[in-house]
Amino acid sequence: MSHDPLNVITLVSVGAHPVTGRARRAEQDARAVDLGLSLAGKELHLLHAGDPQAEALRAYLGMGLAEMTVLQQPPQADVLPALGNYLRHAGAQLVLTGSQAETGEGSGMLPYLLAEQLDWPLIVGLAEVESVTGGVAQVLQALPRGQRRRLQVRLPFVASVDNAAPEARQSAFGPARRGQLQQQEVAVVEDALLEEAQLQPARPRPKRLKVIKAKTGAERMKAATAKASAGGQVLTDMTPEQGAEAIFALLRGEDVLR
Amino acid sequence: MLDTLLPILIFCALAVMMLGAWRRVSLWRQGRPSPVPLMRGLAAMPRRYLVDLHQVVERDRYMSRTHVATAGGFVLAALLAIIVHGFGLHHRLLGFALLGATVLMFIGALFVARRRRNPPARLSKGPWNRLPKSLLMFSVSFFVVTLPVAGVLPADAGGWVLALLLAVGVAWGVAEMFLGMTWGGPMKHAFAGALHLAWHRRAERFSTRVGGSGRSTGLKALNLDDPEAPLGVEKPTDFTWNQLLGFDACVQCGKCEAACPAFAAGQPLNPKKLIQDMVIGLAGGNDASFAGSPYPGVPLGEHSGGPHQPIVNQQGKGLVGADTLWSCTTCRACVEECPMMIEHVDAIVDMRRHLTLEQGATPNKGADVLDNLIATDNPGGFNPGGRLNWAADLNLPLMSEKRQADVLFWVGDGAFDMRNQRTLRAFVKVLKAAEVDFAVLGLEERDSGDVARRLGDEATFQSLAKRNIASLAQYRFNKIVTCDPHSFHVLKNEYGALGGNYQVLHHSTYMGELIAGGQLNLSQHKGGSVTYHDPCYLGRYNGEYEAPRNVLKAIGIEVKEMERSGFRSRCCGGGGGAPITDIPGKQRIPDMRMEDIKETGAELVAVGCPQCTAMFEGVVEPRPHVKDIAELVADVLIEAPAPVRKTSAASPDVLEVH
Amino acid sequence: MSDIIRRDPRSEWIARNRLHPLHASLQALGASWVGPSGLIRKNPHAVAFVGPNGLKRIDRSGAQQGGGGKRASISAAAQLPLHIIEQPSFHIVVVPDMVGGRLSSHDKDLLGLASMLAGSEGAVVAVVFGEHKESAFDTAGVDRLLHIQGEAFVGYTPEQRIMALRAVDDQLAPRHWLFPDSRTGGGELGRRLAAKLGERPATRVWQVADGQCIGRAGAGQQDLARRAPRLILAAAECADPVGETRHEVRAIELEGTLAHSLTRIDNLGAVAVDPALTPMAEAEFILSGGNGVRDWELFHQAAEVLGATEGASRVAVDDGFMPRDRQVGATGTWVTARVYLAVGISGAVQHLQGIATCDKVVAINKDPGCDMVKRADLAVIGDSTAILQALIERVSEYRQGDLRDVA
Repeated sequence: MSHDPLNVITLVSVGAHPVTGRARRAEQDARAVDLGLSLAGKELHLLHAGDPQAEALRAYLGMGLAEMTVLQQPPQADVLPALGNYLRHAGAQLVLTGSQAETGEGSGMLPYLLAEQLDWPLIVGLAEVESVTGGVAQVLQALPRGQRRRLQVRLPFVASVDNAAPEARQSAFGPARRGQLQQQEVAVVEDALLEEAQLQPARPRPKRLKVIKAKTGAERMKAATAKASAGGQVLTDMTPEQGAEAIFALLRGEDVLR
Repeated sequence: MLDTLLPILIFCALAVMMLGAWRRVSLWRQGRPSPVPLMRGLAAMPRRYLVDLHQVVERDRYMSRTHVATAGGFVLAALLAIIVHGFGLHHRLLGFALLGATVLMFIGALFVARRRRNPPARLSKGPWNRLPKSLLMFSVSFFVVTLPVAGVLPADAGGWVLALLLAVGVAWGVAEMFLGMTWGGPMKHAFAGALHLAWHRRAERFSTRVGGSGRSTGLKALNLDDPEAPLGVEKPTDFTWNQLLGFDACVQCGKCEAACPAFAAGQPLNPKKLIQDMVIGLAGGNDASFAGSPYPGVPLGEHSGGPHQPIVNQQGKGLVGADTLWSCTTCRACVEECPMMIEHVDAIVDMRRHLTLEQGATPNKGADVLDNLIATDNPGGFNPGGRLNWAADLNLPLMSEKRQADVLFWVGDGAFDMRNQRTLRAFVKVLKAAEVDFAVLGLEERDSGDVARRLGDEATFQSLAKRNIASLAQYRFNKIVTCDPHSFHVLKNEYGALGGNYQVLHHSTYMGELIAGGQLNLSQHKGGSVTYHDPCYLGRYNGEYEAPRNVLKAIGIEVKEMERSGFRSRCCGGGGGAPITDIPGKQRIPDMRMEDIKETGAELVAVGCPQCTAMFEGVVEPRPHVKDIAELVADVLIEAPAPVRKTSAASPDVLEVH
Repeated sequence: MSDIIRRDPRSEWIARNRLHPLHASLQALGASWVGPSGLIRKNPHAVAFVGPNGLKRIDRSGAQQGGGGKRASISAAAQLPLHIIEQPSFHIVVVPDMVGGRLSSHDKDLLGLASMLAGSEGAVVAVVFGEHKESAFDTAGVDRLLHIQGEAFVGYTPEQRIMALRAVDDQLAPRHWLFPDSRTGGGELGRRLAAKLGERPATRVWQVADGQCIGRAGAGQQDLARRAPRLILAAAECADPVGETRHEVRAIELEGTLAHSLTRIDNLGAVAVDPALTPMAEAEFILSGGNGVRDWELFHQAAEVLGATEGASRVAVDDGFMPRDRQVGATGTWVTARVYLAVGISGAVQHLQGIATCDKVVAINKDPGCDMVKRADLAVIGDSTAILQALIERVSEYRQGDLRDVA
């Protein structure tokens, strides 16, 4: 890839580890930072709206950046206006975000609302920027199961990054400790959501049982008495051809032969 | 003629040598400061040389005697030659003494030469093959030159031809022996080695007249409170000055190379080459003239560096490839074998610290493991709430409830591993059978920090260690017992610097005590023959070779020893984060060790470490079975005799006592 | 189904009971039908049957009609009651993903949720873009189908679709918009619409009841409970799919013409992804080799023919046959493939942990007692080389057959 370094801003947030809930760099945001580093190198600009004292933010600096801008916001604030105002004047060509925050609501709406507010196009699930020529970027979008789609989009644009983007580089202690969090005071807009909604510990969702929609008693009986499929079919003493046929049938049935 | 030539030659050589010494010292002084008592070190040096170093050299009798003769002869001859020929003190007795010294040196040099005729691969060639010739030249020249002094020959015997020949011989000998000492020939080891012994960074390694421990294996802590303090070693000058001095002491004997499991497995590491690379970095240059075995798979001549250039260059070649540093299993076999007492592992971990803490370049699964340790306090990323799930049915006493106990059982991260849980359960069975007053920390326990520290992540290590120390400080106990030699080592030797001092025992040691105290009722081991594998962190790190063998003996096992056992035990490949960084080689270290095990014909290998168990069980079957010592003991445990059981089961008041 | 003829007292009873809703479907085929004039006609000859002694019998008990017929065909023919909403008082609009042109199970759950929200007053409207192959909108619970076709909606066209959905919003003013919160389109489309409409959606919703909805929040450790908003992005299994009723799938049209705006994102089409390079954690079909693989060339060939992503056990990686990033298991990569074909892998605990979430595991192994065979849904015991060889032939044959069909 050889093009002029882009002016890239990556939005970062404080994440929470899925097992322990400890504050950390958010997985997708870290991937967005990595992608930004590969596009803009050390010129990458990091932006966070929230608490400038949050230690977890340093993990992003540990990826090799000297500083980040923090728009000071209390926990209950709606950060969108602050981010939008900042970005409108920052002269960025590309704004990268994760797809979904790891704390709070985590609705994943931020990149959409930001794109709407700035009136920029939005690329969802950015995997790679292939080239930028004449203000038009050719990018790859990640689809489920490792598939990719090639898109063309005019700069500037917003792109969200999900777990299909390349894994984020390691965060190192030294640069994380040295990095500077540049604090900026901005207007605060309260978020009304939490007045009517409440966060509660996640309830485990019941595993859906095999719903038996039997029309007749016989079907119900059959469904109830069918051997619970513990252990599968074991084919012994077969010719290789018969074995292959059995496997082939299963692969056909699962529709994985393309 | 010689009478005028010799003093000039000798004093010129000494002057140039002093100049060289000055240069060498200033090279070392580029390193970071290290507080070492200079005078006391010098005073202790002779003893360190004659006792501690000699004990290592003595493992190879041939070399030990050769060295005594050569070095002793040389030191004596050199001193006398300066007096006799330098100052012209032509006393007959001195002459004979000098003759004797040169003869001694000559004999030694002959043996050195013999060793060099068919040298093993571990020895460096090049200048080192020239050394015996120089030694012979020095001794012969001074012998002949001294003959007139002793009055055996007339002063002018042989005429000017002989005089010229002798002058050349003396010049050669003096150049190699005096100039080489400080300007970088093979004899550099004598000068640097002596000072290295005096100002060694681990003074505790040496015995003292009152008897010291003679063991110092814990890694030194980084100062993380000072934001200016460097995090590990990036360039050669980031080492402390006495580490740099230590690298210069290397004699390139290759004992480390022969012992290194990574080298044997074809991974790109050769401890000897690594030390020599540091020497190259010290003065600047490239490795083309290195005369020993290269790093497997890495050709010579491609790497170069200087004192102020990064040792590992992520983009270019640098002085050393990162893979070299990550191949090390920190098994300490090289340090154990090194006759110059060089600390290879310290240097490697110092350089790893820079890679992890500054570059964020821990390879392969390293970054994941460190992230897991930070977020979940265990390397596997398991929910810390499941730390005690393995013992759900064992009703283990918890420290948080008991507040005090005789023994604190440190479970370790093996608690999350299904294989290791068998070992843990076996050990609990033993503890219960011996009616030991013990308790576990349960969910308050965290990873000891071993892996984080060996991967160079000192910050995570210290964070884990400090929290563990805070947990331990809440309770009263006499000793900590653990089944994991890595936790054992870290708790025992590395928590002290952070304020945690404990009496820590490996479970084999503790079971040995229980057996000796008659607290266990054991039958005899049935089944096939058994060999025992010494874990590095139990053996070489902590000197515990006997206790596991005694326990095995007590249950009727006669250990079929492997050729490499005890302090020469070969690593299983599981230490130092090596399975995590996973640098490819030609073969796998555990496979090689399993070959060692198979050679004994044993049907079962007894181990005392969860890492070793995991590595050996990863070897493809058929292979001998792998069992922890605790499992072997638990297998032959005779449950408490009937009367005891009756009282404990029948009388509730006994229960109330607890 | 077994060939043993069993009596089914229930269906016999239905056959006798002329008021039962399923009565008609249990009458012998051709016994009665609606004639061209609208009258019900009966064939008196078909009522009877030939008894065991050769005589023609008429049995009003229903035993013969009910038990004699093939039960399978009877239940297949059973018609669910039709749910008709003539004048809906409100609309619930669902935009299904239509992966591969068909309703996915996620879509069906969503339609189930929609018909729950619609109750007996509202109508469930499904908005489908472009061509589709679905034939069972009726049993999935679609009352109205808004099929938006046209060049502009083929492929990945989020901007065009949002334009269309805004028009739908203007036209129907739906009480709720429902989207599947999936990576296959719904998640993106729903959020784009929410941003465009300025509505704050509820996302990752897994329960809607009594006007309240609960969705996962943050990293999944918390739930967000709130009043159900107009836009809901629901997770899979948010509700049970419709199963008891048939719906009329009445087609409706979008009024007016859609303004075509200039698109800012151009779709240059799918990129050919080499399955061998697909990250293993995302691959849906993995061919994994272990210690029992003798012929690695053949193994690679098999992966290519099958179009599978290659994986390996630790031993195969250690022995240098496969690169380290292909290692499957607790110490390697945790995979989520739909089909995991394990060749010569005995199934160490760590390996089995790594494939725990795979749907179908197929094992080829010569040891019938190994753990992988116990885990597998289908295990073929035998020589892996021969079986792989046969499988390659069988699949190549199938592929060629496919080509012939196309030609």
